[in-house]
Amino acid sequence: MSGDERQRPRAFRLDDDRIVLADGETPAHDDLRQDRLKKGGVIVETTPDAFAPQDEPAEPRDAEEATEIAQARGIRARALLSWGGLLWSALGGLVSMALGLWATRIVEDLFARSATLGWIGVALAAAVVISLLALGLREMRAIFRQRHIATLHAALARARDADDRDAARAGANELLSLYASRPDTARARALVKDLTREIVDGRDLIDIAERNLMAPLDADANREIASAAKRVSMVTAISPRALVDVLFVGAQAIRLLRRIAEIYGGRPGFLGFVRLAHSVGAHLAITGGMAIGDSLVQQVVGHGVAARLSAKLGEGVLNGMLTTRIGLSAMAVCRPMPFAALKQPGVKDVAPFLFGDSKERRDIS
Amino acid sequence: MSILSDLLFETRIAASSLADYVTGAGLRLGVTGLSRAGKTVFITALVQNLLRASTAAMDGERVLPVFRVHAEGRLMRAKLQPQPDDHVPRFAYEDHLAALTGDERHWPESTRRISELRLTLEFERRKGLRQGPSELTIDIVDYPGEWLLDLPLLTKGYAQWSRETLEASAAAARAPFAADWRGATLAVAADAPESEAEAKRLADLFTTYLRSARAETYALSTLPPGRFLMPGELEGSPALTFAPLHVEEGAAFAPGSLAAMMERRYEAYKAHVVKPFFRDHFARLDRQIVLVDALSALNSGPAAVRDLETALSEILVAFRAGRSGFLSTIFRPKIDRILFAATKADHLHHTSHDRLENILRLLTARAIARAEDVGAHVDVVAIAAVRATREAKVKQGRMLGEKSELDAIVGVPLPGERIDGETFDGKGEVAIFPGELPADPKAVFRGDGLGVPEGAADYRFVRFRPPVPRLAKDGEPLPLPSIRLDRALEFLLGDRLQ
Repeated sequence: MSGDERQRPRAFRLDDDRIVLADGETPAHDDLRQDRLKKGGVIVETTPDAFAPQDEPAEPRDAEEATEIAQARGIRARALLSWGGLLWSALGGLVSMALGLWATRIVEDLFARSATLGWIGVALAAAVVISLLALGLREMRAIFRQRHIATLHAALARARDADDRDAARAGANELLSLYASRPDTARARALVKDLTREIVDGRDLIDIAERNLMAPLDADANREIASAAKRVSMVTAISPRALVDVLFVGAQAIRLLRRIAEIYGGRPGFLGFVRLAHSVGAHLAITGGMAIGDSLVQQVVGHGVAARLSAKLGEGVLNGMLTTRIGLSAMAVCRPMPFAALKQPGVKDVAPFLFGDSKERRDIS
Repeated sequence: MSILSDLLFETRIAASSLADYVTGAGLRLGVTGLSRAGKTVFITALVQNLLRASTAAMDGERVLPVFRVHAEGRLMRAKLQPQPDDHVPRFAYEDHLAALTGDERHWPESTRRISELRLTLEFERRKGLRQGPSELTIDIVDYPGEWLLDLPLLTKGYAQWSRETLEASAAAARAPFAADWRGATLAVAADAPESEAEAKRLADLFTTYLRSARAETYALSTLPPGRFLMPGELEGSPALTFAPLHVEEGAAFAPGSLAAMMERRYEAYKAHVVKPFFRDHFARLDRQIVLVDALSALNSGPAAVRDLETALSEILVAFRAGRSGFLSTIFRPKIDRILFAATKADHLHHTSHDRLENILRLLTARAIARAEDVGAHVDVVAIAAVRATREAKVKQGRMLGEKSELDAIVGVPLPGERIDGETFDGKGEVAIFPGELPADPKAVFRGDGLGVPEGAADYRFVRFRPPVPRLAKDGEPLPLPSIRLDRALEFLLGDRLQ
């Protein structure tokens, strides 16, 4: 053990004359310090307490946590036992009973007129029942598929955090089966499939899967968001009535959500869409505070620049930005794996034309 | 005979744990540590923090932020309760707290006898079937750390113990102060006729040797039997009047010989002292915190560090770790969480805590591996149950050249502590740079140094006086400042307070 490089233990009495005390807030006067230092004096500076309890942020720590909370509130919610659920189920039951009663009566009436008409009525009623069942089944499958994607998201996030190889392999295999029916992902799937058989660390496997499988889908989603944002801002800018704006923005948002869900492998029906919208709403609410430094300032600035040109144009930019935010939230919630190897896009990455990029601006105006 | 007594021993343990289960005893928290590791201070600080946490929270103080049940506002209050064992003295919590926070501000006296305390936490359960108000009872046992050294004796015969003790005393580090007793022992023939006077003489010499080895300058740890150092009420009894002899292992001693007498007394010591202690206090633990004063051993030198490692791994064999299930909870409680804590972490800057933890991890590596094998949770942490220092940066002029900033700690050293050629009076505050622990934890095991003088060591950890207490609005002291006490609590109790 050489004591040459290492400092020897030292002690400095605080009541010594040559010692200047300083705490972080009121540093000793600089001239005084320099003076004392030159005379071989010493400054003892109190440092902030490393063990002082820190205020924990009330908001989720990062984007990943926000996404999982949002997913839990919508897509993954199991809300069958709530009062609201009971109300709607009971109402639905009553309505379907009423419809059944009505259908029976019509068929009976038809039979009373002629047997042929009656049989046609029976056939039509059967067709209605069968198609209803099929629709219901599809609805259920869509919900389960969405939930499956959200669960996979959480599992992959955990596996990546823990660098757990087995969990990562299981997750990667599920990813592969999720996109098995997509011809355009064939090459990426083959690559990931090979890697799951080789010795690759869990985290690396997930990162490779993300870079290969997700990147093209992310690009698709970005394109959808950008074009929706463009359409919305353009229509808002030129539409004659506010009502038209509102309807158009709403319709575009719904379309965008469905498209993004489809891109990432979900096929939401009506109920699935309601759940998805819940999740996206939750995600927007949670990340709204987190993004305050980012997009709110941008919105104000963007609005300012555009509003100087025309009030209508400013509204267009705002609506476009809102659509973009919705699209990004939908992207985070629908994606079957967390953003890790790839960066989560921001409003500015997806829709740069809303921020006065001169080349893009020409497209709008 | 031995099998029968073992069986009886186990049966009594199973019976007492069954009785515990039926009467609804609480969580038994074992606070383990060699002498001077800080058991008493830890228990006092733990109890005081829990008792005062909710009051402090109402005063707007942030205490125990990592201890979730408190941080989430679910801990309503903690209270002391009459303990279950009527034959064990109560832990003198009030006296120890008064010592720490009184005008004199001194550390509690070293523990001379066993004592016990029962603490009940009232809290709200957050999840599970039993949501809502709930209680957790914690039983804490304090005892002289010296007694812990006896646990390894349970598996050793007299001859084996004699051989090991003689071998240990021959090591270079111990030779200087072991010489007297060693010379006397080797001169005595094992088959000499038994004589009370001779036994007394050898036992006295042996005790003197143990005492001097334990002295602060050397800080050795492996010194069984423990009652020789801290005799309690047994002082002078035959069970404490024996010493190792130079005997053949495996040979039978002639009746009436000195060796036979010594062996009988050794066995009596095990039967009357060690076994009851183990049965009543160690066989029934649910959670365990092992406090290790690594800094004293580091102060003394590599030989003391190695000695500490031997002592720890021998002691920890005696504990029953493992995953606990329903049946084992009833008949054979197992320790399912073990926390190894390097105490007195406030004696060095927080940037060195990782290194201290690494050293502790290495010290207890064998024990950790064994506990993890059987499925117990293990963690290692550097804590200070009572934090006596604050941190500062010391900036110097040209004197030190390149590296002119030192990470120092500021506190009031105990009177008589020495560093850097200065001796302190226990009054003024001093900023101390204790030196740097090596980045490679193995470095502290290399070498033969023992009782290394202050000027020659790369680091020197001085002891500080307890901090000046801050008072709450009701005039009682606020929870004593600590380092990572909340993390230790969360690890040990957190899962039962969900």
